[in-house]
Amino acid sequence: MTLLSQIIQYAISGITSGSIYAIVGICWSTVFLITNVLNFATGEFVMLGGMLTWLFLGLGLGLAPAAMIAIACTVLIAIALERLAIRPVRYPSEITYMVITIASASVIKGIILIACGSETRTLKHFIDIEPIRILEATLTPQVLFVIGVLIIVTVGLFLFFNLTLFGKALRASAFNFNGALLIGIEINRFRLFCFGLAGALGALAGIVIAPIAFTGYGIGLMTGLKGLVAAIVGGWSISGTVLAGLALGLLEGFGAGFISPGWTDALALFIMIVFLILRTLSFYPRLKKEPS
Amino acid sequence: MKNSEIDRTHIPFIIMIAVIILLPIIIPSAYIISVMVFVAVYGVLALGMGILIGHAGLFSLAHPVWFGLGAYISGILAARGWVSPGIGIIVSAFFVALISCIIGAPILRLRGYYLACATFALLLIAQIAGGQLTNITGGHEGLLGIPSLSLGGFVFQTDLHYYFLSWALCIGCFWFCSNLIHSRVGRAIRSFHDSEIASKSMGVNIPKYKLQLFILTSVMASLAGSIFCFYLCFTVPSFFGFHLLVELLMMIVIGGIGSIQGPLIGSFVILWLRELINIYFGKIFPVMTSGVDSIFFGILIIIVLIFMPRGLAGWVEQSFNLGRRTYAYFKGPGA
Repeated sequence: MTLLSQIIQYAISGITSGSIYAIVGICWSTVFLITNVLNFATGEFVMLGGMLTWLFLGLGLGLAPAAMIAIACTVLIAIALERLAIRPVRYPSEITYMVITIASASVIKGIILIACGSETRTLKHFIDIEPIRILEATLTPQVLFVIGVLIIVTVGLFLFFNLTLFGKALRASAFNFNGALLIGIEINRFRLFCFGLAGALGALAGIVIAPIAFTGYGIGLMTGLKGLVAAIVGGWSISGTVLAGLALGLLEGFGAGFISPGWTDALALFIMIVFLILRTLSFYPRLKKEPS
Repeated sequence: MKNSEIDRTHIPFIIMIAVIILLPIIIPSAYIISVMVFVAVYGVLALGMGILIGHAGLFSLAHPVWFGLGAYISGILAARGWVSPGIGIIVSAFFVALISCIIGAPILRLRGYYLACATFALLLIAQIAGGQLTNITGGHEGLLGIPSLSLGGFVFQTDLHYYFLSWALCIGCFWFCSNLIHSRVGRAIRSFHDSEIASKSMGVNIPKYKLQLFILTSVMASLAGSIFCFYLCFTVPSFFGFHLLVELLMMIVIGGIGSIQGPLIGSFVILWLRELINIYFGKIFPVMTSGVDSIFFGILIIIVLIFMPRGLAGWVEQSFNLGRRTYAYFKGPGA
């Protein structure tokens, strides 16, 4: 394989995983901005999408109905999580929310472990055609599905948040919680909606990535954390998260190809730590102080 | 007046020491002794993390890292025969203090969620490094060939030796921490839990106290880790990962956030509950114990946080107060 086709191959795999991180990052930020809950069960939604689809396919359903039911189940689980575990907390603090979501993630993981076993699973490719060849690199059609889902999700959310009244109200309540309450926005319904949306997007990401990467009961943690890296580096906005997710995926693809595949997870997390520490160094006030 | 007050603060320690000494005499079972060793080791860990979370409001999730570093450094030094195990424990505690100082200085500038994310990332990075650096740590196969601990000619061999060693460490740390929390430094620490701005304006040097507390608890974790690795004679990176973190959070939450004795109670309750689950569910679902385990404890955490936010320690305190009030009521006025 020549160097050029190697580069193309790594870029393809990087963009594939980057798209997933971007979608997962959007799940984190929709929930975080509106409810101020950092939902550590986000990664489990991705796992649920893949594993439930596998489960329903095993029951003899077709791909489309199985995927639909899996997404619906994940949305229900996400809504149940908000209604049963997060809303009843009497003294909400960041620590309580975080421990509760970590515990819920562990419950979801345990249920899937008992229902589906600890083996890694994989789905069949959605359409069965020959891989496309670019020089010597191969592009499986499934990658196009992943990128397509990212584009649809991004454009759809952009239109939703900017054009519909409901989306505008959501943005308003993320911007100013009390102000939104004051003009009669029903915050509790919005919290449910955000968790449901995160569940749906996470499950969708889990379903389209399952034919390429293996899925199993334990994939939620790492996938979720990389989504969190994308969301934090992207500054919790949709466009920023998508860019940061793709950049993270590319970095990981090249890192795995040219350096060592074992260390790529550590690289992403290290970037997050460095980025968070750099944020605390106050460059911005100094910039502001200069005469404009 | 002064004397009686000193006596009252000493009562829990006297009871604890008495129970610890009497337990192996009353029930000489190797199984119970070995579980109690783990209770002590995890108790020290949970105690340090509980002070960071509950008293100082530093949501640091990197505690298993210091535990693992303590275990690995002293284990490697002893297994390669570079220094004797007793000195190895002190060397590893010193190294962990140094590393936690270097990492803590920049990372403790973060607050709330961001501190939690950064330390969580640190935990996972440490675990990946433990698995990847095969020529130093032995990778996922684990570090083998750790000799028994010997201190000044005395070799720790039986469970009972480790039982007394680990409980000595645990009670020592508990005594130190409860004195620390009620001292001037402890009041400063609790003050920036509630409002950093208020305590800063009272002249508390917040970054200094945060860093000192961070180093102190990481040294405690490192000592516990050293005893853990000499007791098991074996370590793998997965001992010190996400699973341990969830377990520690459980101990702190179920014991009670913001109390000194809570994490110890939590450690006792959680480890014995786990043993019961393993004994009873091991027969019903022989393969699926880890799944049952995580479902049960996850639901338990959520229920405790919703219905009993102050945990078992708060509940004990409440019933103690109720008992005192009932006693005073029946004894009549002037009691």
